[in-house]
Amino acid sequence: MGIEPGRLHFSWISSAESTKFVDVVNDVTAGVKALGPNKTFLKTEAKVA
Amino acid sequence: MSHWEPKIVSFLCNWCSYGAADLAGVSRMEYPPNIRVIRIPCTGRMSAKFILAAFRQGADGVWVSG
Amino acid sequence: MISPKLVEVGRHINIELMTCSEVESVEGESGNFEVTLVNHPRYIDLAKCTGCGECALHCPVTAVDSFNMGLDDRKATYIDYAQAVPLAFTIDTDTCIGCGKCETKCMAQAIRFDDKERKTTLNVGSIILSPGSQGFDPSGLEYLGYGKYANVITSLEFERILSASGPYSGHLMRPLDRREPAKIAWFQCIGSRDLSEGANKYCSSVCCMYAIKESVIAKEHAGSDLDCAIFYMDMRTPGKDFEKYYNDARDKHGIRFIKSRVHTIDPVPGTGDLEVRYVTDGGEMNSEIFNLVVLSVGLQTSPDVIRLANRLGIELTRGNFCKTETFEPVATSKQGIFVCGAFQGPKDIPQSVVDSSAAAAAAGEILSTARNTLTRSKEIVPEINVINERPRIGVFVCRCGINIAGVVDVPSVTEYAATLPYVDFATENLYTCSQDTQEIITQIIKEKNLNRVVVASCTPKTHEALFQETLINAGLNKYLFEMCNIRNQDSWVHKNNPELATEKAKDLVRMSVTRVALMEPLKEAELEVNQTTMVLGGGISGMAAARSLARQGYETHIIEKSDRLGGQALNLFQTPEGEDIREKVSLYIDDINNNEKIHVHLNTTITRVDGFVGNFESELYSKNEKQILKHGVAVLATGASELKPVEYNYGKDPRIITNLDLDKKFIQKDPMLKNLTSAVFIQCVGSREPQRPYCSRVCCAHSIQSALELKRRHPDLNVFILYRDIRTYGEHEYLYQKARKTGIIFIKFSLDNKPEVTLQEDQLRVGVRDHILNRPLEISADLVILASAIVPNGDEKLANFFKVPTNNDGFFVEKHAKLGPSEFATDGVFLCGLAHYPKPIDESIAQGLAAASRAVTLLSRKNIFMSGTVAMTDPAYCSSCGVCISICPYSAPSFIPDDDRFFPGRAQINPVLCKGCGLCVASCRSGAIHLKGFDNDQIFAQIFSVNEVI
Repeated sequence: MGIEPGRLHFSWISSAESTKFVDVVNDVTAGVKALGPNKTFLKTEAKVA
Repeated sequence: MSHWEPKIVSFLCNWCSYGAADLAGVSRMEYPPNIRVIRIPCTGRMSAKFILAAFRQGADGVWVSG
Repeated sequence: MISPKLVEVGRHINIELMTCSEVESVEGESGNFEVTLVNHPRYIDLAKCTGCGECALHCPVTAVDSFNMGLDDRKATYIDYAQAVPLAFTIDTDTCIGCGKCETKCMAQAIRFDDKERKTTLNVGSIILSPGSQGFDPSGLEYLGYGKYANVITSLEFERILSASGPYSGHLMRPLDRREPAKIAWFQCIGSRDLSEGANKYCSSVCCMYAIKESVIAKEHAGSDLDCAIFYMDMRTPGKDFEKYYNDARDKHGIRFIKSRVHTIDPVPGTGDLEVRYVTDGGEMNSEIFNLVVLSVGLQTSPDVIRLANRLGIELTRGNFCKTETFEPVATSKQGIFVCGAFQGPKDIPQSVVDSSAAAAAAGEILSTARNTLTRSKEIVPEINVINERPRIGVFVCRCGINIAGVVDVPSVTEYAATLPYVDFATENLYTCSQDTQEIITQIIKEKNLNRVVVASCTPKTHEALFQETLINAGLNKYLFEMCNIRNQDSWVHKNNPELATEKAKDLVRMSVTRVALMEPLKEAELEVNQTTMVLGGGISGMAAARSLARQGYETHIIEKSDRLGGQALNLFQTPEGEDIREKVSLYIDDINNNEKIHVHLNTTITRVDGFVGNFESELYSKNEKQILKHGVAVLATGASELKPVEYNYGKDPRIITNLDLDKKFIQKDPMLKNLTSAVFIQCVGSREPQRPYCSRVCCAHSIQSALELKRRHPDLNVFILYRDIRTYGEHEYLYQKARKTGIIFIKFSLDNKPEVTLQEDQLRVGVRDHILNRPLEISADLVILASAIVPNGDEKLANFFKVPTNNDGFFVEKHAKLGPSEFATDGVFLCGLAHYPKPIDESIAQGLAAASRAVTLLSRKNIFMSGTVAMTDPAYCSSCGVCISICPYSAPSFIPDDDRFFPGRAQINPVLCKGCGLCVASCRSGAIHLKGFDNDQIFAQIFSVNEVI
C-alpha cells in the first residue's frame, strides 16, 4: 500500500492511566513527525481534482 | 506550508483511552496538539476500512487505542 | 472508578445532596422522624459555581492540602479533587485572608462572603447512617517514630503518593528528599489487634489486602527492581479472589512477606533511611535497612461519629462500631435507623457496597407504602419529527470561563463554525453547562427551528446527559446531538500552543458538525417490567432477599430444590456471638411462611429459562409436574456446601469429623462429646491449596467458636488449633483473643509441612511441626475436627439459563467485584449468599437484602428504556453466517425462526440485550449490521472531515 508501518499505532490504555496516555501521544506524534508528511495519496488526489 | 505539523487520526475507545484523555486534561498534562480524536463505543467497532479511509484522506498517522 | 457513580448521584432527580451539613438531633420514631441539620457555610453558591477553578488559581493563600494528607499545598479556595461531586469549590475560612480576589475573578458570580450557618429540618421516614471511619493515628506509638522521621508514613499517605492526581503526580518518591526509594517496608496491624492503651483490639479487616495492593502498584510504578517487604502477624486475605492476589504478589511480583514483630525503628544518620529491628516467628532478632516505611494503619470510628451515635441513642460495640444483630445486619438498636459501611464494622469496598444496598432495602421496607409519593419525575415534551428535513445545525462553543477561552480563540472558532455546511446558527457561551444557558439553548432551538446541536466544550462523559436533557426539553430527540471536546482534550492540554489548539478546535468542531448532520433520531426500546420476582434457593440469603422483596410489595416465588427452607444455616450451631442459629432460622422460616406475598416451591428445580430482563419465563419442575413462572427479575441464591475432605484420614474413623459434623453433635447433644481429653482442629482443609486456591473465609471464626464451646463444657480439655493464618477479621478478633486467654493452643503450619493424622491401634495421633520450637510434636487426640472448605453447588445449567458466568472456583462472577457485588452483568439477574463466595450468616443476609434492593431499583420503574445506540441488522444483506451470534458478549443476536414469514434464518438483534459495543458490526462480512449513532456513515464523515475538504 505504500504506507509506512510507523504511521499506524495501536495501544491499550485504561481510563485511569492519563500519564500513559500522554506518553503514548508523545511517542506516536514523534514517530509520525519523523516520517514526514504522508504523500502516498497526494498524486491520486490531485488527479481526481 | 511554512511549518509542517502532522495530523494523526485517533480512534479512542469511549471507556478506556477516551477517559484517559479526559483525565490527562483534568490533570492539566501537556502533549502535542496533533491528534484528532474520534470517539468509538469500543475498539470492537474498529474496522480496517476506517484506518484506510483516514490515510486515504491524507492523515499522516493513525492511532487506535482501547 | 467511582466517578460515574458520583456523577449519577449528583444528577439524580430524587437525591438531594446536602453538603457541609451535620445532624444535630433526631426526634420522632420510625416512619416519622424529624431531623435537625446544621448547614455550615460554604461561602460559594453551589447553584452558580461551575467548578472551573478560576478562584483557586488566583487565591494568594497557600494552605495544607488535607485531601493529600498534608503532603501537598492547596489554596484557601479549594476543591478536594477534580472529580468531586458536587463540582463546586469551598472557601476554607481558617486560612482565607478575605482579600476578595476570588470574587472579582469569578465570572459565574458564585462567591458569597456573607454566607452564614443555617439550620434546616427534614421530615423523613427512615434514616441510614454511613459516616465511615478514619485512619488510626500512629503518632501515639512512639517506637514507630511517626511524625519524627519524615520517611515513616501512613498507608493513607502512601495511597496519595501513588495517585496520579496526588502530591507527586503518581511518581513514587519519599517525602524527605523526594528521592525514589529502592526498598520499602510495610508494617501491618498498626493500631489494630493491639491490646495496648490507645490502640484497637479488633482487626481492621482491610489492611492486609491494601498493603499487598500498594506494594504491587509501587512495583508497577517504580519497576520490578523495587524491593517490597510486608511485616505481618497473620496475612488476612479472606475476600473473593484476594488469596490469589496474595499468592501472585508473593510468587509473581516477588513481594517479601515476613512473619514477625517489629521491635524498633532507628534512623540511619545522614541518609533518611530507617533501620528496622524485628523478631521473627522463630524468636530470632534481625535487622534490615529500608528507604521508606509505610504503616498499615487500621480503621476506627471518629470521635464525631461516636458523639453522633450518643445523640441519636444508638448502641455501640466494644470497638465503637454500630451494634447490629447477626440476623439484622444493617439495623441499629433504634428502629427505623439503619447503618452501612465501615461504621457497621471495619470492612472493604465490596462489603460496604453490599451493606449500603442492604440498608436501602431495609429502609425501603418501612417506606414501601409511601413509594413514589414524594418523588419527582421529569415532564415529557413531545418530540418534533425531523426526518427528511434538511439538517439545521446549531453550534454552541463554550468559553468555560477562561478554561477554554484562555487558550483557544473561541470567537474565531464560533465564526468558523458558522461557515460550515448546514450550520444555521453558531454562538459562544460563558458557561454552556449553567442552568440559565440550558434555557437559552432551548429557546434558540425553538426560535431558529434547529434540528441538530453541537456543543463544543468539555467531555461527553460528564456533560453529554445534561445537554441531551436540554434537547429533550426543546422537543428534539436526544441522539441529534454531538459533543466536541475542546477542553479536556484541547485547551487544557495545549495551553502553551494557543494557535495550534485553535486549529485543533476548528478541526474537531468541523468533524462533529459533519457527524451530527448524519445523525438520525433514535428510538429507545421501552420495556414493561413484570412485577413478579423469583428467588432461586431457600437458604438464609435467599429468604432474606425474598422477605425484603415481599415486604416492599412484590409477589415473590422461592424455588428450593430440597424439601425445606433454611439451607446450610440449619447445619450450624451458634454464631460467633453465641446466638442459637437454628432458633433464629426457624423464626425466619415462619416469617416467610406467614407472608402471603411469598410462594414457596419446595422440591423444585428449573428446567428452562426464556426471555430477558423484565420478562423472564422459567419452567419449574416438581414431582413430574411442569409449571411456567413469569417473572421480571431473578435472584440466584443457590448456595454452597461443605467439602467432604479427602485428606487427614477423613471417613476412616468416627472421631475424625468436619466442623459441620461437630455442630451436628452439639445440636444433637451427642454423648461422644462428654468424655474428651484432647481435641485438635486443623484449618484450611481443602482451602488455600493449589487445586482450590481461595480462602473459605468463615472457618477460622467457626473453629475458634467451637473450640471455645468445647472448652466451656470441659475446662480441662486440651484444645489445639493447627492453622496457617488465623483470619478472625473485624470484631471476630475478640474471639481469637479470648481463645488464647482460655488456654487453647495455636500451632502454625505451612502448606509444605502439613500435619498428619494417623491411626495406631485405635489411637488417634496428630503429628505437626511446632513453629516456635521448630521441632516435631505429636498430639494424641479424642477428636480431630477438620475445617473443611466451602464449595459452590456449581450449577452450570443454571448459569447457562441466565447467561451468567462462573469463575475457576465455581462461584458466580458478579457484575463488578467492588461496585456491583450483588448483581450480574446480565440485566435483571441478581446474586447473593454462598453462591457468590463463602461468608458468614450476617454477610449472607446483608447480601440477600442487597440483591433485593438492586432488584427493586429495576422493578419500581415499571417500564425501562434501553439505550438507542444499539446495533440493527438489515436482513436483506445478511448471509446467515452466524459470526455476530458467536462473537456477541451479550447474546443479543439470534437467527430469525425458520417458520417466520420474512427473512427466516437471517440474523436479528434484540435491542434490549444489545449494549452497543459494535463488535458485531465490525465482524459482519456482509455489511448487514448497523450500529445506530456510530454507523459507518457517521464515522467516515468524521474521518473525511479531518482535513478541510475544499
